Amino acid sequence: MKDIAYIDLKQCILEDNEHLADEVRTLAREKKFFLWNIMSSPGAGKTTFILDVIRRMKDTLRIGVIEGDIESMVDARKMQQMGVSTVQLRTGGDCHLDAAMIRKALQALPLDELDLVIIENIGNLVCPAEFDLGADLPSMLLSVPEGDDKALKYPLMFSVVKALIVTKTDAVSLFDFDFEALHDNARRLNDKLDIFHVSAKTGDGMESFCTWLQGKIENKKY
Amino acid sequence: MTKSIYKTVLRRAEAVDAVAVNRVVLEIGILRDFIPEIVQKYWDYIAVDGIAKGAKIEIRELDARVACGQCGQEYDVGREQIQDPRCPSCGYAWGTLLAGNELRIAGIEIERNHTQTENTEER
Repeated sequence: MKDIAYIDLKQCILEDNEHLADEVRTLAREKKFFLWNIMSSPGAGKTTFILDVIRRMKDTLRIGVIEGDIESMVDARKMQQMGVSTVQLRTGGDCHLDAAMIRKALQALPLDELDLVIIENIGNLVCPAEFDLGADLPSMLLSVPEGDDKALKYPLMFSVVKALIVTKTDAVSLFDFDFEALHDNARRLNDKLDIFHVSAKTGDGMESFCTWLQGKIENKKY
Repeated sequence: MTKSIYKTVLRRAEAVDAVAVNRVVLEIGILRDFIPEIVQKYWDYIAVDGIAKGAKIEIRELDARVACGQCGQEYDVGREQIQDPRCPSCGYAWGTLLAGNELRIAGIEIERNHTQTENTEER
């Protein structure tokens, strides 16, 4: 004879990841560094943007980078050429980074000597949004060629980030990109979102973004 | 993600001496991209043998909850309104998301062998 029973679990599926993200937050407080997660679709310009931020901020901040890629070391080499400590995470197929990967990568960085650690997440607007990495600043890039309607298509991503950085603004004359529509759509579920317009190619908007970032880093309470 | 669900279900089912898992009930916020058929497909791929083989995945969708950026009222938003979740009181378009990201295992339906009281104690 068999009994059939229903058992209430009410258990969060990503519970393990959330515990690990808390551990990362604790580590960042203890070691006094600011953790910045950058997400976007492939080709939005993450690497070019990060390289320009490093170029502008490396004299005032000690910067480390965690490079997430499904394959290759291409981006990590570019970062190393800028003279910053870099760890390459190759997920071998996984389309996102999780807190366990970040905790491991942080162990390979000289954390006592860093003020800012930048995470370049895997290019993808869906899965990276699902995983809390313990970052002080979860953010996303959206490039002008991708279009202004992405907030409607990827609402989770636009709701979990604190900053939205629109890149490749130098290409705006080639596309029908409506900045006002983007702002309107992006703030429907995230009214406190900070939005920036930049072009790493021409440098437009980069200085004011870096000033804002510097303020965030200085205001972090340890 | 499905692997993580599978491991948790298996652990909890084994802890109560289940001999089969019939049903896994998930509660998923509407902002998560969870498609029941896909989760079932992954489940059948992972659970090729053992007590969780053949379990049916059931997904209960949870509405999002938003706090209006103008008047502060909190309101629920279903899948149909998520593209334009306006405040029902003041009509303001922007708000802060309070819920809608849930991702949890609500419960599992399991089978257990009927327990018989046997006195196996030796004198």
